[in-house]
Amino acid sequence: MTPHFGLPEFGFLLQGLQWTVLLTLVAFVGGCTAGLIVALLRTSGHKTVEWMVRIYIGIFQGTPLLLQLFVVYYGLALVGLKLSAFVAVAIGFTVNASAFLGEIWRGAIQAVPRGQSEAAMALGLHYSSRMRDIVLPQAIRISLPATIGYLVQLIKGTSLAAIVGFIELARAGQIVSNQTYQPLLVFGVVGAMYFILCWPLSWWGSRMEARLALANQR
Amino acid sequence: MQDQNLIEMKGVQKWYGGYQALRDVDLTVRKGEKIVLCGPSGSGKSTLIRCINRLEAIQQGSIVVNGHRLDDSIKAIDVVRQDVGMVFQSFNLFPHMTVLQNCMLAPIRARRIGKAEAEATARKYLERVRIGDQAEKYPAQLSGGQQQRVAIARALCMQPKVMLFDEPTSALDPEMVKEVLDTMIGLANDGMTMICVTHEMGFARQVADRVIFMAEGHIIEEGAPDAFFRNPQHARTRQFLGEILAHH
Repeated sequence: MTPHFGLPEFGFLLQGLQWTVLLTLVAFVGGCTAGLIVALLRTSGHKTVEWMVRIYIGIFQGTPLLLQLFVVYYGLALVGLKLSAFVAVAIGFTVNASAFLGEIWRGAIQAVPRGQSEAAMALGLHYSSRMRDIVLPQAIRISLPATIGYLVQLIKGTSLAAIVGFIELARAGQIVSNQTYQPLLVFGVVGAMYFILCWPLSWWGSRMEARLALANQR
Repeated sequence: MQDQNLIEMKGVQKWYGGYQALRDVDLTVRKGEKIVLCGPSGSGKSTLIRCINRLEAIQQGSIVVNGHRLDDSIKAIDVVRQDVGMVFQSFNLFPHMTVLQNCMLAPIRARRIGKAEAEATARKYLERVRIGDQAEKYPAQLSGGQQQRVAIARALCMQPKVMLFDEPTSALDPEMVKEVLDTMIGLANDGMTMICVTHEMGFARQVADRVIFMAEGHIIEEGAPDAFFRNPQHARTRQFLGEILAHH
């Protein structure tokens, strides 16, 4: 007898949702940390370093995320590093996010007027203070809409993790749908869950964008 | 020492790629001296003062500030920047900080002064540029003239030996030029060593010990303001003065 979509099935989806949120959080926090380093190196002024980071960014932006997940999960296993599905996709998403967030923030850092750095230098402030106190606070504000936009993409993008057998929300939906033969209902619920996660973020992002536009007019 | 040299530039050459911005510049500034630098746009006057605090690197020649030779080492650059304050054409206040925070940041970070002392110093200099009542506001809430006075106070909080002004009134509406110039005159009267890139010839007449005219990266001529304005030696200077004084 095929089970109907009921509370246990809904619970299973909720579990998938949890994993989606957890994977997103890990990838986003990891991606932010690594992305900040990428952005700082990319704007460091050292030609060799900047080129190396450009290649790094080019590789992760220029190849499919799917391929990158394969490489981390199966590729590392081939050289003897057997990772659990979660750790593998967390690493894959983190590295990928670091390239994209790094580029977003590189642009934002460069969008802070040069005069800000010059004034800081003239006041005798060192690189660390110049970045921490002057440039980054302004760059983060500038980059906020794009960063939130990326986070929304990331939430939806985590469904790719299913490819290496990680059961997150989309994969959980597929399993439940196969068991219940109620794909419309199941994927309707799955879609609603994604929507509840993403829509408030999108709304917040566009609000930030509008506020930023207003601030720039002044 | 009355005749102490604060700045000595010798044989300074500066290129931007293939374009030479400074050609064999020699300049000595004594303690307490007020210098006005003028010249047509692209003459190298801004570049010259930006070399003094190493916002621009030079390719040849030497610059000594307060006895410290400026080279490429971070330490030398640090030492020199501690002695040199700068005011920019576009103010360059930090928009995400209040006026008070703008003035306190560098003393705390670069001079390692305690917060309370930094605040006291900041308030003192904000009073001095007559803007003490705006300390809690953000730069965007102030007029251009007020912002530029904050920028002057911010530089003074580092207690520099010399102040560089890079066209400090050029971005201001006409009615705000005077309040900034008055502040600068006050500073000059207090004995501050100053190098000002400006086209405000009234200011030059009133406070400058020397007026220096530059064109195409050279120092063409210099002299006391009286002689400089009444009897310029070079045709290039006469032409320039003719052009800018025609509007006054």
